[in-house]
Amino acid sequence: MASLDPRKAGPLAMAPVAALLVVGFLVPLVLVAWLSLMPERTFGLDAGLTLANYATAFEDGYIVPLGWSLFFAAATTAICLLVAWPMAKTLARRGSAFALVVTILVALPIFVSESVRLFGTALFLMPRGGILAGSLNALFGFQVGSILYTKTATLLGLVYVYLPFALFPMILGLSQVPRDQVEAARDLGASRWQVLREVELPNAMPGLLIGGLLVFVLAFGANTEANILGGQSVAVITKSIDQRFSYAQDWPLGSALTILVCAITAAVVFPVLERIDLDRLLRR
Amino acid sequence: MSARPETEPGLRPRQLFTALVVVLLYLPIVSVVLASLANTRYLIFPHRVWTLDAYAEAIGQYTTAHLHATSFKIALVVALISVALAIPGALAFARYRWRGRRLYQRAILLPVFFPQPVLGLALLVALSAAGIVPDWRTAVFAHLVWVVPIVTLVISIRLYGFDPAQEEAAYDLGATRLQAFREVTLPAIAPGIVSGALFAFLLSWSNLPLSMYTTGADTTLPEWLYSRMATNYSPQVPAIAVLSVAASALAVVAVLFLRALRRAVGRRRTTSSEASTLAHPARATP
Repeated sequence: MASLDPRKAGPLAMAPVAALLVVGFLVPLVLVAWLSLMPERTFGLDAGLTLANYATAFEDGYIVPLGWSLFFAAATTAICLLVAWPMAKTLARRGSAFALVVTILVALPIFVSESVRLFGTALFLMPRGGILAGSLNALFGFQVGSILYTKTATLLGLVYVYLPFALFPMILGLSQVPRDQVEAARDLGASRWQVLREVELPNAMPGLLIGGLLVFVLAFGANTEANILGGQSVAVITKSIDQRFSYAQDWPLGSALTILVCAITAAVVFPVLERIDLDRLLRR
Repeated sequence: MSARPETEPGLRPRQLFTALVVVLLYLPIVSVVLASLANTRYLIFPHRVWTLDAYAEAIGQYTTAHLHATSFKIALVVALISVALAIPGALAFARYRWRGRRLYQRAILLPVFFPQPVLGLALLVALSAAGIVPDWRTAVFAHLVWVVPIVTLVISIRLYGFDPAQEEAAYDLGATRLQAFREVTLPAIAPGIVSGALFAFLLSWSNLPLSMYTTGADTTLPEWLYSRMATNYSPQVPAIAVLSVAASALAVVAVLFLRALRRAVGRRRTTSSEASTLAHPARATP
């Protein structure tokens, strides 16, 4: 028979990707984990094992930037899901020209660099001569304050950058809500709230979960938003890690903090991925 | 019963809200364009003089060309390699039924569901342990770790819509495995491959967090913009940002154009063969 046994074809076909993931993902993380067990400020990998870096991580107050990162991640996820839901309901309708155009318009900025988009946000929010403040002053003659370099600006930037990541899986999920079920529920006298809770949410849940998870994880590890829009007002954990690696030249402590971030990420990602049927979600 | 879009509650406000959010999404990009049209050292909007000077200066500069060349080189290599890896990767993801497929489907998502700055740093640690000095080639590798899973998903979505029975039919007609793949499967998933390559190019082109740690002495466009927006601001910085976006938009337009062209050529071919079949009905019978 010409066809190769699919049980053998699978492992063969995935081998290149698997090799990439082992060398480019698994091995680096194992190395970081190992480095986190080295004495502080060492660069080698052959000193005695110690948990001192993890103790330092807690004693030196790194729990604060970790907390801020978690807060930003949770707030960004909540806001993105709330904003994306009505949008997804509009955009999940097949065959609507409005939906098609808007979907493309929302997708395009994903491919514009974060640097450019956050730079633009900063230019927009800048005090006095900024795009917003300058326009308001020139048009209506009044001065406005600026939220640039605050935690609010950081949160705004996070929502702006990660909204599409909540939206697109949600559209995917919502397009799997059977329309006749919604119609039937309405005909049987269900309220909008009941339709939402009993029909739409359960059917759209895989998309919601994937989207929410993506936003949470990406926002949790983001540092450019805080750097560009937050200024000195907030330190997030990835900024602390970056400083340990660069200015402080303390790679073991930086690694320990990295492992903490990985552990939290894994604790969120694994249970959700476990629950989702990817075949069903991706098949249209 | 037919659909009733008019009577569905809350449709209008929802569309309005959606349109509003889209406008907000474009405000920062519009702001970059507006800021680039000045000739003042600092941004004082609205500009007293509106000018394209910054573009004229930026285009003439070696830095602009060099940054674009570095980013282009990385993005092109990433697009080519990621498609080569992701085609078999997607077959294993969506097409073949094999033990371990569920695990593979989840493992491949891990780099996507992972903070990119952390991945960049981990790769930096690994490179240093291996004694490799980072440059644009290590950045290619870093981008691949993140882009290949995404391209695999893009091609997989296309593969789910492909009926494997078509391939079986090719085998029954005596095609070899390679022939069946080249003549049946590949054309069917070609749009997915093109989108995947485009995705890979654009994601690599615009990536900041991975490049930041893995380019070494080389500098990509997003890195340069990131470093210059904090210090050394001038209207040239937004101008180069606009140029970089225009360059990636050009890539999208080029792909769309090629696709439209191919479709037009394909249509002409089928219509002309139909015409000749009509003219010489005898030739149509095998």
